[in-house]
Formats: sequence, structure tokens, C-alpha cells
Amino acid sequence: MTTSMTFSRPLSLRRLAVSSILGAGVAFGALTVALAQEATFAVTAREVGTPTYNPITATKLNSANSLIYDRLIQQDADQSFHPHLATSWETTPDGMQWTFKLKAGVKFHDGEPFNAKVIEWWVPKFKGTENADTVAAIERVEVVDDLTVKFHMKNPDPNLLFNLSTSFMGIPSPKAYDALGDKFGVTASVGTGPYKVESFTVGQQTVLVRNDDYKWPSDLSVNKGPAKIKKITVREIADDSTAFLELKTGGVDLLYTVPADFLPRLKSEKTVKVMQIPGTEIVYMPINTQAEPFTDIKVRAAAAYAVNQKDIWQTLYGGVGVPANGFLISGLAEAKVDPKFAISYDAERSKKLLDEAGWKPGADGIREKDGKKLQVKLWTTNGTEFKRITEVVQAQLKAVGMAADITVFDASTINAQYKKKTDHQLAVRSYSWTNADIIDWFFAAKRAGYPNVSLLNDPKAEELNVIAMTKSRTWDERVVNFRKYHEYILSQYAFAPIYEPVNIFAYSTKKLKLPETVRGVRLTSQTILDSEITN
Amino acid sequence: MISYFARRLLLLIPVFLGLSVVIFMIIHLVPGDPIDHILQIGSSPERKAALMAKYGFDQPLLVQYGIWLGKLVQGDLGDAIILKQPVSTLIAQNLPYSLALGSAALVFSTVIGVTIGALAAMAKDSFFDRALMGIILAGSTVPSFWLGLMMILIFAVELGWFPVSGAKNWQAMVLPVLTIGLGGIALVARVTRVAMLDAARQDFVLMLHAKGVSRREIYLRHILRHAMLPVVTLLGLKIGWILGGAVTIEFVFARPGLGSLLITSLNQRDYPVVQGCLLMLGIAVMLGTLLADIVQAAMDPRIRDRVS
Repeated sequence: MTTSMTFSRPLSLRRLAVSSILGAGVAFGALTVALAQEATFAVTAREVGTPTYNPITATKLNSANSLIYDRLIQQDADQSFHPHLATSWETTPDGMQWTFKLKAGVKFHDGEPFNAKVIEWWVPKFKGTENADTVAAIERVEVVDDLTVKFHMKNPDPNLLFNLSTSFMGIPSPKAYDALGDKFGVTASVGTGPYKVESFTVGQQTVLVRNDDYKWPSDLSVNKGPAKIKKITVREIADDSTAFLELKTGGVDLLYTVPADFLPRLKSEKTVKVMQIPGTEIVYMPINTQAEPFTDIKVRAAAAYAVNQKDIWQTLYGGVGVPANGFLISGLAEAKVDPKFAISYDAERSKKLLDEAGWKPGADGIREKDGKKLQVKLWTTNGTEFKRITEVVQAQLKAVGMAADITVFDASTINAQYKKKTDHQLAVRSYSWTNADIIDWFFAAKRAGYPNVSLLNDPKAEELNVIAMTKSRTWDERVVNFRKYHEYILSQYAFAPIYEPVNIFAYSTKKLKLPETVRGVRLTSQTILDSEITN
Repeated sequence: MISYFARRLLLLIPVFLGLSVVIFMIIHLVPGDPIDHILQIGSSPERKAALMAKYGFDQPLLVQYGIWLGKLVQGDLGDAIILKQPVSTLIAQNLPYSLALGSAALVFSTVIGVTIGALAAMAKDSFFDRALMGIILAGSTVPSFWLGLMMILIFAVELGWFPVSGAKNWQAMVLPVLTIGLGGIALVARVTRVAMLDAARQDFVLMLHAKGVSRREIYLRHILRHAMLPVVTLLGLKIGWILGGAVTIEFVFARPGLGSLLITSLNQRDYPVVQGCLLMLGIAVMLGTLLADIVQAAMDPRIRDRVS
């Protein structure tokens, strides 16, 4: 009654003005609160142009993927495995069966339940895709009960837990996946993760809204409920400088990746916090073992010992990251090789090896043998960071009497050139991977050319490869076998290790508060779940 | 006029076919292929061979070209290999951004260029003329990539007037338009100046002076109008230049558009998308030239007569 009387009474101009101001104030306040719950993240260079959020078929996924999909298992920064959608697991002594208990009460964004039947549907979906290898050892999936599945294996796979923890192991909704077919991940992406996809425009941005039903994070998150940030826009900014300036001016609140050479500038920003997590990348110099003069192991060893890792680490990266002395990231157990195999700068040893190989210093400092100068090709890819490292390596090689001519290619062209197997000698390149099986990828004889840029074709290496890749029954056995394989590759000087970067990200403290410790091998949903807006 | 238009249109057919051959061959002759970007770590050579066959890359290049052209004449640009969407959808998503950016930059560089050119012609050989032309010539030699970053540093970071990047609102378009447009001013201004000075030497101008028409009116009403023919030709050619220039600028300003799409696809060797983007840029140049010819013919009956 009162309400109707109020509305029926004509408004005076003064009342109208007051009402308008109050209304505008309330609206502005609401808008401010709404905006305050939103954040803009940015992915840069390497993650730009990710075509899909279909984890089953994709070969490239960006950082937003972990916010959309959950996995059975999460890997922490120390490489340990933690339960997520799987609460526990056990394997038989022969490694031929794995039993996983699943988390109860989990639902996909479309309301469909997550249970054992989903896993039974999910595993065979990898067949024929580029990610088929991750579940190739699984013969079949048996549904034991609604929340228990058993994997019957074709052969023991001690790497199964790692495989299940990779970003391609996000579990999609079977209903949405089957309904959308090839369009899944492009027009819609439905997982069980803490955020739902509102929109995705390839190469531009992904808008994510909070999954308010979310209450099943892994034990790597402190927050056990829905995320604290209501909406996240993940922008794709290809140019690192532009991304940095967006963070500086508040256009972006968090940068997923920051190049190490931006660190000094970011550290001087009072409202930007820079965080580092253990790296997943190794920068190295492959040496073509089939190209003269590197067919001589002494010349290969000389080139490897000429690279001054500490100098590069300090001068180019200001001491951020670590100098690399092997082929694997230092967090892996297989990286802990016998020190006698580790490759570290030793100019005197390098010169002595070249002397022994018959390469004597010429009048201009460049070594010669049989009237021929020690002139080699040094390839690299375009990108400021690579070019700078390559120039330093060139100078370091020259210091021991090896003249290197640099050629710069784009990433696709250089790989095509490697496949010719004839032209290259040395190169500066990098990889990002957190498993020892990367040695197989880059040094197995069957992949000579690319990715086996070193063209290593050695019977002993092949034998150790087979043992490491297929004969290990347990995780510990696999570690031992891969360590031996790693040590042998090092002993052949098929490459020179250079640098192991850390993963660096930065955020605006004016807008965000992130936990002090980042859990997981990258900045993923575990950390974002514990993050909040500060104003 | 209609027959002139029809003849010009027919001439575009062989040009289009030539363009399609060049575009197709350029990207296929560059080392690398999209399959390398699809393959996951651990993939076998057999898997690669199977994918090559799936996308028809195992066939001779001429056969691949024939298949592409066959689809193209039916209006089908194919499907992106990496981006997993129809190329036409991707272009439709991005083209409006490039057109908006290119059009605004074209208008900006034309208005400023013609104005500067006209002022310089009116003050021929004076200090003002030399200084003006010197400044814009120096400005046009600055690389657009660097200019873009400087614009961001000054107007977005230091002054905070405009956003650093993106395409969220009209303000986000100001710096990219200035960056592309500034590079185009010099040519428009120089062509305008030369054309006006040429026109100023003609008999009708002498007669206008004799009739006592003011100098300002002679220049702005008569000479400028007469000098517009070469400027219009230049503008037609500049359409392609502007869209091409947008490629790097879209990258620096993280804007969606054909340029961003082209760079992303080129890095991944996504052939159908690269071909589609280059074709759009080529068509823009062709249409720009056609438009310039038609406008010229409409403005100057002598051209129509000469052609007919």
C-alpha cells in the first residue's frame, strides 16, 4: 500500500534530482563492485594463437586451459604427484593394473556428473590423436563401481602418473564433447574446472566466469570452494614489450610469462610483483655428430666445453635461472647424473682437445688443420633472446679458436632445414618439457634430422633408449634407466648445455593478491583459486 | 562509362589468377609445413606421413593448387589446419577490424597530406615549404614498428591518454591510426604539392590571375581540384599499402585483424589461412586500383575518351 502511494505521488524536480543522483550512485557502486571482481590476465608470444581448448586433440594449449579442466592428478613444482579428481591410486607389483578412486560430487559445467563411466569413455577418445601416446599403454578401462576405475595395461608404464598430470589430460564433458564433435574446444569448452568459458576468440581473448558450484580443488590449493575472482579475461598479446606496458599501465593485471630480460624494469615498478617458479625449459646447443669436423668426438667435446654457461647466466640473465650442465631440467631425478658427465665451461680443456684433434691456432687466432680453417655454421631462430645467446656463444667459440657464422631462421624454416640433415653443424635452441623421455625425442636415431638435430645414431645410445623407454617397470627403475641414458648422451657430446630459465610471471599488487608459494609446475588453477582481488 | 567499368572488371580476372598462383606458390615454397605444428612430442614419421596424406600435402603442388583454386571459385576458402575453423569465418571475424583501422588511417593521411601539400605548394620554395616537406619526409622514414612503440610510451604510458593495446573501444584505435597514417602523409603531401605546382603553370591559371581572382581562391578552388587526379590514383594504390602496414601495427598494438591473423598463421604455416589473408590483401589492392581508375574516369572525361 505504502509503495503504491509513493509511486503514485508526482515527483518534484528536487526529488527527481536527488533520486537520480542516488540511483546513479548505486549503479556506479554496483558497477565498481562488479568490475572489482574482474581481472585481466595476458598470455604472450608462445601461447598466442592457441586454436582450441580441446585437451584430447590439441597439441598446444594455453594457460587458461587449467582453469577450465581438472585432471585426475596434479604435479607439484617438486615433480611430486597429488590427487585431484582421483583421490587415490594403487598399482599391482607387476605394473599391469592401476586402480584409481575418484572424487565424489564432481560435476561438469553442463551439469553432467563426473564418475567412472566418464573415464571409461575418455581414455579411448585419445586413439588416433596426437596425444594417443599418453594412454597408449592402457589396454582397457574397467568400471569397478561408480567411483572406481581399473586400468588394465598392455605393458607396465611407470610414466603413467606423469602422463595423467599433463595439461592434455583435462577431462571434458562426454555429453558436450560428443555433441559438438570437431567444434568442441572452439565453439564451447566444458570441463569440471573452477571457471567456465563465456567466450573464446582465437588469437584475441578468452573470457572466463567463475564456476560457483566448484568445491573439488586438489590438495595443492588452500581454498576449497569456488574461486575468489569472479571473472577473468585472458588476453593474447604477441609482443612482449606491449604486454609489459599493459601491466605497467594497469591494462593487464597479470602476465603469465615474463622474459628474463624484462626483470630489472619490472622490479623497479612499485606496484608490480614478480614471482619465479622452477623452470621447465633448457636452452642448449645441439652438435651435428654427422657433420665434419664434429664427427670427431674431441671437436664436439671442445665445442661443448667452450660454452661458458655461468657467463651467459650472469651477463644475459642477471643471475636469474641456473646455468645448465645437462640435458634435463634440474628438478628431475634423472638430471642428477654422476658429476664426471656434467658439461661445464672449461676453456683450457677445450683448447687441449682441439690441439689433440689436430686443429692448431692460426695467425688470426682461428684454428687450422690441413690448410683448412675451423669455420662452422651456427644456426638460431629469430627472436631477440635467441639471437643474443647465439652471439655470446659465437664469441665464446671464437675464444678457443672456432669461428662460427650465425644464420637466423624462423622456427618453421629452421626445422625444415634440419630435416635436410646436411647443412647444419651447431645451433642454439630450446625445449620445454618436464619428463626425462625428452631425451628419446631429441636423440633417438629414428628421429635423425628433426627433432634429433644432433643426428646421433649410436648403438649404445639406442640400447639404453630401449631400456629406458620400454623396460622399466617402476618409477624408480625408470629413473635409474633414464639417468644412465642421459649420462651416455652427455658422454657423446652431442650437445652443449647452456641455460635453464625459471618461469617468471608478474602481477599488479594494486589489483591482485596471490599466495606466496606457487604450487604446480606452472601458474595454474591451484594458484588462481587462492588468488583474490585487492580493491 | 559502364563499358569502361566492365572492361576494367574483366581485366581483373587474369590478374586474380596470377595473384592466386603467386600466393599459393610463395607459402608452399617457404620451408616448413603445418603438420610439424600439429605433431606432438613422440610422434612417429609414419604419423606425419599419414597427416600429410590426410591434408593432401603428399600430392604434387600443381594438383594441390588446382584443388584450392577449384574450391576458391566456388567461394570456399577451405578450413584452417591449425586453427580448426573455416578460413572464411576467421577472415570475417578479423577483416572488419583491419578495414576500420585502414580506412581511418587512409582518411587521416589523406586529409593531413593534402592539406600539407597544398600549403607547401602555395608557399613554394619558401622556408615554410622546405621545412614542412623536410619534416614529413623525415617522419615517413621512421619504421612503423618503432613509431608504434614510441606512441605507446608517450601517449599511453607517460600521458595515459589512450590504452596501450587492444580493440575494446574507439580510444584504442587512435594510436594505431596515427602510427599507420603518419607514414602515409609524406607521399600524399608530395604528390599533392607537385600536382598543384604543375597545375599552377597551366594557361587557365594565368587567365584566372588576369581576371583578378584572389590567389587563395585560385589555389583552393581551381588548382587543388585540378591536382586531385594523381592524388586519387595514389589513394587507390595506398589501400593495399595501408592494409599491409596494418600487419605489423596490429601485432604491436595486439589488435585483432587480418595482420594478426596472418602473422599467427604464417608462424604456424597454416596454409589455407595464409592464402586466404594474402588473397584478401591482394583483392583489396585490385579493388583499390579499380576504384581509382573509375573515379579518375568519372572526374576526367578525357580518360574515358582515350580508353574508348
